[in-house]
Amino acid sequence: MGSGLRDRALWKVALGATGSRPGRGRSPCSGDRKKEAAALPGGPAGSANRANRPPERHSSPRAGAGAEAGHSKRALPGADRPKQRISDGRRAPGRGSCAAAPRGAAGEGAGRSASGRRSALGAPAGGGGGGARLGAVGPEEAGLPQGAGRGLSGRVAARRRSDGGPGREGAAPWGGEAGSGAEGLGVAGAVSGRSEPACGPQEGTAGAGAGLAGPWSLGCGPGEAEAGPTSRLGALRRPTFASPRFPRQGWEEPAGTAPGRETMPYLGSEDVVKELKKALCNPHVQADRLRYRNVIQRVIRHMTQGLDMSGVFMEMVKASATVDIVQKKLVYLYMCTYAPLKPDLALLAINTLCKDCSDPNPMVRGLALRSMCSLRMPGVQEYIQQPILNGLRDKASYVRRVAVLGCAKMHNLHGDSEVDGALVNELYSLLRDQDPIVVVNCLRSLEEILKQEGGVVINKPIAHHLLNRMPKLDQWGQAEVLNFLLRYQPRSEEELFDILNLLDSFLKSSSPGVVMGATKLFLILAKKFPHVQTDVLVQVKGPLLAACSSESRELCFAALCHVRQILHSLPGHFSSHYKKFFCSYSEPHYIKLQKVEVLCELVNDENVQQVLEELRGYCTDVSADFAQAAIFAIGGIARTYTDQCVQILTELLGLRQEHITTVVVQTFRDLVWLCPQCTEAVCQALPGCEENIQDSEGKQALIWLLGVHGERIPNAPYVLEDFVENVKSETFPAVKMELLTALLRLFLCRPAECQDMLGRLLHYCIEEEKDMAVRDRGLFYYRLLLAGIDEVKRILCSPKSDPSLGLLEDQAERPVNSWASDFNTLVPVYGKARWAAISKYQGAEHRGPELPNTASFASSGPLIPEEHKETVQEPDSGALMLVPNCQLTAEYFEKTWFSLKVAHQQVFPWKGAVHPDTLQMALQVVNIQTIAMSRAGAHPWKAYLSAQDDTGCLFLTELLLEPENSEMQISVKQNEPRTETLNGFISVLETVLGTIGDIKS
Amino acid sequence: MIHSLFLINSSGDIFLEKHWKSVVSRSVCDYFFEAQERATEAENVPPVIPTPHHYLLSVYRHKIFFVAVIQTEVPPLFVIEFLHRVVDTFQDYFGVCSEPVIKDNVVVVYEVLEEMLDNGFPLATESNILKELIKPPTILRTVVNRSTNVGDQLPTGQLSVVPWRRTGVKYTNNEAYFDVIEEIDAIIDKSGSTITAEIQGVIDACVKLTGMPDLTLSFMNPRLLDDVSFHPCVRFKRWESERILSFIPPDGNFRLLSYHVSAQNLVAIPVYVKHNISFRDSSSLGRFEITVGPKQTMGKTIEGVIVTSQMPKGVLNMSLTPSQGTHTFDPVTKMLSWDVGKINPQKLPSLKGTMSLQAGASKPDENPTINLHFKIQQLAISGLKVNRLDMYGEKYKPFKGIKYMTKAGKFQVRT
Repeated sequence: MGSGLRDRALWKVALGATGSRPGRGRSPCSGDRKKEAAALPGGPAGSANRANRPPERHSSPRAGAGAEAGHSKRALPGADRPKQRISDGRRAPGRGSCAAAPRGAAGEGAGRSASGRRSALGAPAGGGGGGARLGAVGPEEAGLPQGAGRGLSGRVAARRRSDGGPGREGAAPWGGEAGSGAEGLGVAGAVSGRSEPACGPQEGTAGAGAGLAGPWSLGCGPGEAEAGPTSRLGALRRPTFASPRFPRQGWEEPAGTAPGRETMPYLGSEDVVKELKKALCNPHVQADRLRYRNVIQRVIRHMTQGLDMSGVFMEMVKASATVDIVQKKLVYLYMCTYAPLKPDLALLAINTLCKDCSDPNPMVRGLALRSMCSLRMPGVQEYIQQPILNGLRDKASYVRRVAVLGCAKMHNLHGDSEVDGALVNELYSLLRDQDPIVVVNCLRSLEEILKQEGGVVINKPIAHHLLNRMPKLDQWGQAEVLNFLLRYQPRSEEELFDILNLLDSFLKSSSPGVVMGATKLFLILAKKFPHVQTDVLVQVKGPLLAACSSESRELCFAALCHVRQILHSLPGHFSSHYKKFFCSYSEPHYIKLQKVEVLCELVNDENVQQVLEELRGYCTDVSADFAQAAIFAIGGIARTYTDQCVQILTELLGLRQEHITTVVVQTFRDLVWLCPQCTEAVCQALPGCEENIQDSEGKQALIWLLGVHGERIPNAPYVLEDFVENVKSETFPAVKMELLTALLRLFLCRPAECQDMLGRLLHYCIEEEKDMAVRDRGLFYYRLLLAGIDEVKRILCSPKSDPSLGLLEDQAERPVNSWASDFNTLVPVYGKARWAAISKYQGAEHRGPELPNTASFASSGPLIPEEHKETVQEPDSGALMLVPNCQLTAEYFEKTWFSLKVAHQQVFPWKGAVHPDTLQMALQVVNIQTIAMSRAGAHPWKAYLSAQDDTGCLFLTELLLEPENSEMQISVKQNEPRTETLNGFISVLETVLGTIGDIKS
Repeated sequence: MIHSLFLINSSGDIFLEKHWKSVVSRSVCDYFFEAQERATEAENVPPVIPTPHHYLLSVYRHKIFFVAVIQTEVPPLFVIEFLHRVVDTFQDYFGVCSEPVIKDNVVVVYEVLEEMLDNGFPLATESNILKELIKPPTILRTVVNRSTNVGDQLPTGQLSVVPWRRTGVKYTNNEAYFDVIEEIDAIIDKSGSTITAEIQGVIDACVKLTGMPDLTLSFMNPRLLDDVSFHPCVRFKRWESERILSFIPPDGNFRLLSYHVSAQNLVAIPVYVKHNISFRDSSSLGRFEITVGPKQTMGKTIEGVIVTSQMPKGVLNMSLTPSQGTHTFDPVTKMLSWDVGKINPQKLPSLKGTMSLQAGASKPDENPTINLHFKIQQLAISGLKVNRLDMYGEKYKPFKGIKYMTKAGKFQVRT
């Protein structure tokens, strides 16, 4: 045990020392071991050795151990090999015996004495199993942090202990699998060639990873006598006689048990882990490349199914020392998954990984580097830094790609704390790399590393470089670069249009992702040129429509969401293509719903007839949701084409279908409020529909209509009476509330018919109702009635309709610039509010979906919940949107100021002095720019402000503070006389001034 | 960008997961299952599902949901497109993309995913480059189970000047095939007039030519194509000025261009359906009769005709006799399907019979919609014709071939 601990320390030292040249410390062991044991895997060669090289065998363990001690010169398969081996042995003679002895049993038995071998020959397979167990247990007991390659050297020595069959049995497979690099194998081949020429080449092939038993066992005829009895060899040889070309068939049976076991993962992962562990340690399995790989594949398979396979970590680490790339890949995959769970053990794997990072094969280098960067465990940073830096300068682009992304991973591991300036510079310089994917990866990586500083900076040279590389990138790269280019602000108009011309062809790309990316870039770059924006939207109409009828439903859906967004600004844009948005029967729900919404928005005089007819067809759809959506859509269209729609809706009532009637009535309610001219028609349609309404929403709508327009509906009191009769069994409190209000309203215009039931209802609500809100409402109305009928009228009878609310809902014709920054993001799909909520949760994780810096007062949060918007009347906030970055020069301001008349003047109470800085900042927040301002404490104090809204209307403001009369005089000038926006602006200004004033006092 | 990928089957089991940036717990899929439960059919699960911490973007193909977990704002089309590319790649590798196949090849799947995405960003997605990195399982490899499916060398094409074509391509038979495939999407109303119709066309190419050939393809009637999107290899400027496709082709199979023809007068409808489906209020029997016939086919035969229709809930059973082909009616799903085969213009295929309706139920509000599938070989219904294909830059004479085909896309007839 003691020596085991010491050994771990040594290992760490060795690791530290060789950190920069990964794997050097270890390679000699394998090399030496190979030399020693020559062709362990091939019993025949080994036996040959045994015959002619007894003295060497003695020195071999020491040689292996000596190598461990850090004497690390890679043993080259050259002429000096024997000499070096001997010298190694000499240098650390003691270590070989003491340090190595306690290690696992799976030593290389081949180099062992002839007698040992012979006794082993007779050992049955069971003995082999014993050996395997020993081999597995050994390292763990000793607490040895053995990398696989390391384990090998241990095993070299361990054969001292494991006399007898089992030990050797266990050893043999290691010989076979052990080659931890091409060189190692070369050595094996060469040595065996030397010791037994006849056998050498075959040995080489066997080691080379093909796992082809055929040539090997055919070739090893001479050695067969010795090799035969070991069961492993037997197993290998059998098939080669049976069918040399398909060795796998011969040993179907041992592998054949695997599927049977695989079917039982439900027994719980423990059994599976135990069993796999056994299999992984089994020397027979290990010896056999394919079986070994099969077991590893099973581990991975279980892992992917979510079973906890971390129990076999140690065994998997061992398996990583192989020349077989597939096996390496599998093991790395495993390690990346479980490294965070077993950080201690995962450290063992790093050595192998480091070594692979300098493998001659770029595939292996890339693979190792990627795996190492993905280990996701604390403390790994120090080991990966150097390999990453090397990788950045690798000559294979494959490795550079991995290394560049590795930088980002490493940064994440560091916990986002400090940014390594040198690394960032290196990445910036790699933007000029030849390989397009390296370039894109650099951008991605920088973006993550510099997250806190706002991401990668795109200056003019970078932007131009990227623009020139665009055609060479793949579609993903193009889409992402287009996204990055959004940050670049061209210096001149000329440059801007050059860029647009350069990117023109991407609007016709075959990838919708690229088309959308390009569209967004166009919209943003051309934000000052509305005609260009419109042009672009016309150009992408084709691709967008194509995406809308794409084979992929999901693409369709996303494209439709964007179509809707475009329609907000350009209502007529898709009108001529309205038929594209007709639903077909087989489409999934979400597409149908989007299409109906689109149809509702693109309707115009020419197509209204066809669209309504189509929608009418959807209203009887089997799916209730879809039918209801269609009805709501008709309700939407009814705001413009009232008569036709009301007629259709009335017809729908005739179907007497519950789900249809309820929605129609709700639509009517909204419609009457917005388009009072249809009241008459609605009132005529209503009688009779109470029979088909069961749900809360529908009942509320109906009761509301009966209450507000009851004087025009003859049977209104009787319908309400039914509701009053059944109020005890009514389950929805909201319906009761609505009933109270409606009945009271109706009482005001038809008192005779209502008095009695109103009394009953109030009595019920006050005496029997359990719901507090309903009871309070009842009490409230009761007391109100006590105050006299005139008072009730004054309070309860508000206007019965208000078309201006329609404007508030539609937000008609939002300018393109208001949504351009959201284009091609998830916002059109699920709305800004939704996304903001999600991003908020993420805290530091969140990269910030370009926050909208337009001060949008119209949409400043849902103060009024959706369901109440009908009843609460909000002052029309007009859609005032002030544009950020409206920079006016002082001269221009002065000129305009003098050329305009004062549009509005008012005084604002103000006490004390002004803090110009605070005020300026506060104004900046709402996108009002300060042109000039007196310094603090000046008398009189003056400030000139400017702002511009999205329609281009300028607001110029003068603030004048005369301390003696303690009020601020505000004069506003406007270059286009528009009162709504002016009022909006003044209220914004007042809010700001009020807030600042409050803070001060 | 893409944090994790989950593969979920339609019964709601996660059978594969892969994480890139960080491990996202499986429980995130609960939101997906919720949505799956809400949607009555698998197809109706919305492609974007917001959860408190993530967005789940999914595509549903081959009865498998490919669910990507997203944490930061992303272009949705980009991710959806990428997921489709993943599915295409699997299909390319394994022939079919189904749950058992993915489970069988889980290791290859993992390797492929590993190469396709790193740190959540798409890397290698071109199938010919991927196939050089990871060899697809072949029959021999499966039999021998020697899954040395990893290429020893890096794809050579990566350093080529033309990013989509590798250098040093060699073939003994030099050939270039082009398939012009058009799909008609149409909605036909009760009376047989067209409500909407459009043609979605693609030209798929299989080019196996040695060296760096430079091809030009010209059409007889290029004006037909108004709405075109190209493979990146096509020189866009040349198309704009001369309406000629000029390109250095990628090696192997690729989609050269896709186009739309939506001007209604240009879309010929090659079939008509005569139908007489009637329910009566009183009786529990309904009449059902449909006949399919050709129209505007330019003398070509219509093949592979399949008629399907979702009957109303009230229909209990149907007893029908087809004049040709076979038909089935599933009383549970109420799906009628009639495999007609070829249409012989002399003897039009028809399907006649009665429907037995639920007794006492009122007659259904809506008549069923009929979906049609068919194929017409050697005809591009839009009339698009390739004029000639020329090759420059190489000396040999390639073998050239053009094939036309018309198929029904979403073709439905309302009754």
